Order: sequence, then structure tokens, then C-alpha cells
Amino acid sequence: MCAASGSSSVRLPDFARTTTFRWTLIVAGGFVLCALVLFGLVYWQTANDLTSRIDDLLTGELRIIVALSPEQRLAWIDDRLRDDPRRFRTTGLFGPDHHRIAGNMESLPSGLTPDVPSDAEIVRVDSVGREMEKVRLVVHPLPSGDIIAIGRNIDELTDLTGIVVRALALGLLPAIVLAIAVGMVLSLRARRRLLEVNSRIQRIVAGDLRERLPTRKGNDPFDQLAVSVNRMLGEIEALIQQIAGVGNDIAHDLRTPLTRVRARLERGRERATTLEELRAVVDQSIAGLDQSLAVVTALLRIAEIEHNRRLDGFSQVQLAPLLREVGDLYEPIAEDKRVTLQVEVADEATVHGDRDLLFEAVANLVDNAVKFTPEGGRVTLALLRRDGEGVVQVKDTGPGIPETEREAVVRRFYRSDKSRNTEGLGLGLSLVAAIVKLHGFRFTIAAGPGCTTEIAFPPH
Amino acid sequence: MLSMHDGWGNNSHSDGESDGRRLWAPDAVGNETAAPIAENEPMPRLLLIEDDKETADEIAAELGDRGFDVSWAADGIEGLAKARSGGADVMVIDRLLPGMDGLTIIETLRGEDIRTPVLVLSALGAVDERVRGLRSGGDDYLTKPFAAVELVARIEALLRRPSESPDTVLRVGPLELDLIKRTAKRGERKIELLPREFRLLEYMMRRKDQMLTRAMLLEEVWNYKFVPQTNLVDVHMGRLRHKVDEPNELPMITNVRGVGFILRAPA
Repeated sequence: MCAASGSSSVRLPDFARTTTFRWTLIVAGGFVLCALVLFGLVYWQTANDLTSRIDDLLTGELRIIVALSPEQRLAWIDDRLRDDPRRFRTTGLFGPDHHRIAGNMESLPSGLTPDVPSDAEIVRVDSVGREMEKVRLVVHPLPSGDIIAIGRNIDELTDLTGIVVRALALGLLPAIVLAIAVGMVLSLRARRRLLEVNSRIQRIVAGDLRERLPTRKGNDPFDQLAVSVNRMLGEIEALIQQIAGVGNDIAHDLRTPLTRVRARLERGRERATTLEELRAVVDQSIAGLDQSLAVVTALLRIAEIEHNRRLDGFSQVQLAPLLREVGDLYEPIAEDKRVTLQVEVADEATVHGDRDLLFEAVANLVDNAVKFTPEGGRVTLALLRRDGEGVVQVKDTGPGIPETEREAVVRRFYRSDKSRNTEGLGLGLSLVAAIVKLHGFRFTIAAGPGCTTEIAFPPH
Repeated sequence: MLSMHDGWGNNSHSDGESDGRRLWAPDAVGNETAAPIAENEPMPRLLLIEDDKETADEIAAELGDRGFDVSWAADGIEGLAKARSGGADVMVIDRLLPGMDGLTIIETLRGEDIRTPVLVLSALGAVDERVRGLRSGGDDYLTKPFAAVELVARIEALLRRPSESPDTVLRVGPLELDLIKRTAKRGERKIELLPREFRLLEYMMRRKDQMLTRAMLLEEVWNYKFVPQTNLVDVHMGRLRHKVDEPNELPMITNVRGVGFILRAPA
């Protein structure tokens, strides 16, 4: 075997290297340890109990035999041994010089404390033959100098050990096998899932934003995580598409005036015969370029507001004077258009915000309302209180915004088809939406005759 | 920023000034216009610190035509040296420069007590940037791209600081504005002004004979830091003109088409 294959044979199989599998092994180990301790305890308790019962029995018998006369004693010994079909009992009467007087014990084991039952090994001699056995034995020196020994076979204890070990093996082995099997299955499953997730993530990283993590019907934490990640991916995808959409919109909104400028210049160059005519063409072209630049400026302005985090520049803003100022600013414009501009400020409301930006938002709403309201119409700018909230409301008698377009108009660059011919950049409402969002207020375009736009803010 | 006003350069509000732009241009006929530099004044010296050569050439050519003596520095270090050596009546400094940042130059100059008025020029249009530019010692802030007339009007405004006279009555020709009593008169004729019109007229009277562009008026009179989509300034100015100049009187407020407004005593 070459070195390479040697080293690879040392490697654990894939599933064995997973965390799941390692944890399974650790848990299985712990389980085995617990089982061993438990069985040990059972064994120890049982053996103890058994031994103490034997000891009690032996001590009782000893008390009887000690109380007997020497003759009765011999008869009792004979009775005891005869009445023992399973050959449990051992008894011995030894002389002071330790020679056997009666009983089935070949000799008296040495080192025993009188009257204290203890384990001993003796040689049993009877009609069957001579054999070595383990017994529980108690000895007692008699007043005559003889020594009496009474014992009982303790093979049962050895049997008990065997039973316990067998039970342990029978119980533990399948448990260990099962634990390893479960560990393998779980780790393989987790590994397969991780591999799947990982490969999908690789695909997402590579640019496939439509890819999603696999989810199952189950509701385990892993599925919840996958669902969350998928939701995040959805948001990101939507944002990126939005950006792409904005890019297209910008291109379109810039291209339109630039195309006009180009055509105008080209025509002017061919057709203009006097300096005056050429100047007129140039003037128109400058206006067209200004329009393109205005798109860029407005876009940058929205980006500035959307990325604005200068909340520390916020202060207490009183809305009533702000609304009156906006009304004051737009009144002449409305009047020129023969539109009634009415400011209804019943009471005061204070919000935490950027005064300039709020002014800009309200001014934009009024600007729009005045622009889209036909002659003879009415625009109302009001400060209301509704359901505990403060509301800045701009209401007009213009054509209104169809429900299907309400969401779209807050997006950048959208301009309702009907308004395509009216001047304005279609950025007003998205600017307002950006400002309102920055403040954490709510911007709604409500239904009704005409158009009603509202900025709702929580009570201060 | 200028470009935001609807109708700049088209005829939506020419108001009878048949050819305002030419009137104000250097090739104008006669001196009835508020040409930036009066003939009896010496040529104002202007230091331009701008790294983009093409932009600098354009600005220098335009300002040269308008009677400025333009000196150009292409980077911050050279610019600072020229600014320190003195001699400039006004400076135009680009915000982002190689070598040394435009705002650093201004801060350094102000630190050395050089008080020459500075117009900051920048491609950074954010309101915050504007505030930073003015806070570092700039006197005005103009965002690229801009119309040449806007630049000239602002430089002119810097050269002629408004009269901060302690007088409580402002006078331009027959026009009289009492700042205490809040009343206005043209000759013997009383003019009823709304508070917003009063504010506008006061601003203009303090800057008589100066070209005031729409952007300048929005920023200064209305404290409007953003871009309205309607011709706000023109409508407000229209109202004021209507009250100041009656049909039988010589006009005092002139609308220079595509540029802005000038208030001056009738000739």
C-alpha cells in the first residue's frame, strides 16, 4: 500500500466527521456510562441484601447450636447436613487442634474472626466426593475448646453477577448499535441538507438570485431559518430589480429630453437662416438640457434623503406655522391658476423632525395638488387629528390617482399617463415618500373624488 | 440647481422684456443695463481654483468677457499660494481638488484672517455638503452644473456686499421702505404689501442694481433649499412688480429673461 492510500484509510467516513455524529457518540457514551453505574448499583444492592440474609441465617443457626449439649450438637449437625438436598450447607466441628470431629468440611480455613460471617473457600467432603467451593462461613469457639463452623454456599451470588452482566450486555449492545445507527442517519441527513443548502448558496453567490433554499413542510428551526433566508433573498431580489428598474427609468427620462435636444439642434443647424433663429434653437436646447439635469438633481436629492441618517439634526417642529408658510408660498400660484387654496389649521401639533425636509414634503404635495387641479377647483391643506394620530392632509378636486397607480406614483420617476403632458418630473411624490419614511411617519394616497394625500404621524 | 426652474430659457415668462438676455450680456446696447461691472470701476481680480481644465477655461472665458481679470490655479497647493499672496477681490474655489481640498484652503485662509469672499463650486449638491461648505468659511455655494449667468450673478453679489445700514428706512429712487412701521411708498403713493412681499422687497432694496437669480432668491428670501417644480419665484415677483410698478410709472423691477431680476431706480 502506498502512503497516500494509507493515509486515506485513516480518514473517517464523511458522516463520522459531522458534528451530529460526534454528538451522537458522546450521548451514547454517556448513556453506556449511566447504564453501567445503574447495573452496578443494582448488583451491589442485591448482593449485599443476599449476603446479609445469609449472615442472619448463619448467626441464628450458630446461636442454636451453641446452646445445645455436645451430643445434641452432633445430632443437629447430622440433621442439618441430611436435610440439605441441594447441598447448600456446610458444617464442621473441629477440635482445639483443628482436626475434624464432625461435619462435611475437610479443614478449618485460617484467618477467620469468630462470630463474624465472612467469605471463605473450603473443601467439601461428602458422599458425592470432595470438592472446592466458596461459602459464607461463621466460626465460633466453644467453651470446650472445640470450634464450630457453619457455612452456606454462595454460588448464587456468582450466578447473580452473571445474570447482571448478561442483562447489561443484552440491554446495552442493541442500545449502542441503535445510537450509532441513529447518529449515522441523522448526520447523513443533516449533511445531505447542508450540502444541498451550500450548493444553492454557491449558485446564489454566482449570481442566480432566483435560487432559494430548500424547505420542508416541517417547522423545525432549520426550516424556519431557511424560510427566513428565503424571505431575505426575496427582498434582495426585489431591491435589485427595483434598482435595475430605476436605472431603466433614469435612462428613459434622460433619453427623452436629450433626443429632443439633439433633433432640435440638428434641425436648427440645417434650417436656421438668421442668428435669431439659431439663438431660439439654442435656447430651446438649453431648456431641454436643463430638464435632463433636473432629473439627475432630483434623483440625487431623493438618494440623499433616503440615505440620510442625520436624525441628530432633528428637532421639535411646529406644524401649524409650517403649513401656513407653505400656504403663503403657494397662494399666488393657486390664484394665478384660479384655484382656491385653503389652509385649515385648527390646532397646533408638534413633531420630531427636520423642518426643511418636512416643509419640502408638504410643499411638494401642495405643488402637485395645485398643478393637477383644473381651473375653478379647490385645494385644501389641513392639519387634522384622527384616531389619536396627527394628519397633514392635502385634498384637491383634480382628476385623482387611480387605485391601481397609487403605489406606483410613490416610486421614482413614475408619472401617471394622464399627467404626461403637464410639466413636472414625476419625482415629487417619491420625494415625499422618502422624507416621510425617514421620519417614520406614514404616507397614504386616499381614495375619494379628486386626490387626497396624507402624512400621518403618531402623537408626540 | 438652476435647471430646475421650469421654463428657463423658454418664453413662458418673458413678460415683455423683448430680449433680456442680450440686454444683460456684455455686448448689450448702452449701459441702461445692470452690467456686472460699472465702467468707472477697475477690473475686479478673480482667483479661480479649479482642477478640471475644460471647466476652468469655460469659466475664465465667460468671466473674462464680463470684465473680470481671472487668474487660474489648477490644484489646491498652487491655489493656496496664490490666495495667500493676495490681490484677488473674489475667489471661486472648487470643492474637490488634487493636493488640497477646497474647504481646507478656505479654512486655512480664514485662519490667517484673509477675508476675501469665496464662492464654493461643487459637484456635491447635497444640502449637508452645502452647509459644510458655508460653515468652513465659504460665502456662497454653487452646485455644478450651473448656468454661466448664475455664476456671474453670485460673484457680483459677493463683490457688492448688501448694505447692512442701520437705517430703518431703505430708499431706492422714489421707493421707500420703512422697516419699523412696515410700510412702503413709491413717491407719494402708498404700497400695500403682504408680509412675504415686504420681505422680498427688502431683500431686493438691500441689493439694488444687482442681478438676483431665481435660485438666489429661493435660497435667501424663502430659505428654500430644494427644488420647486413650479415657477414660484416668477409668480411672487409678478405680484410684487404689479404693486411697485404701476402702468403709468417707469419700471423699477426688471425681469431679465433666463437670468433673474434687478431692482433699480428708474433712469
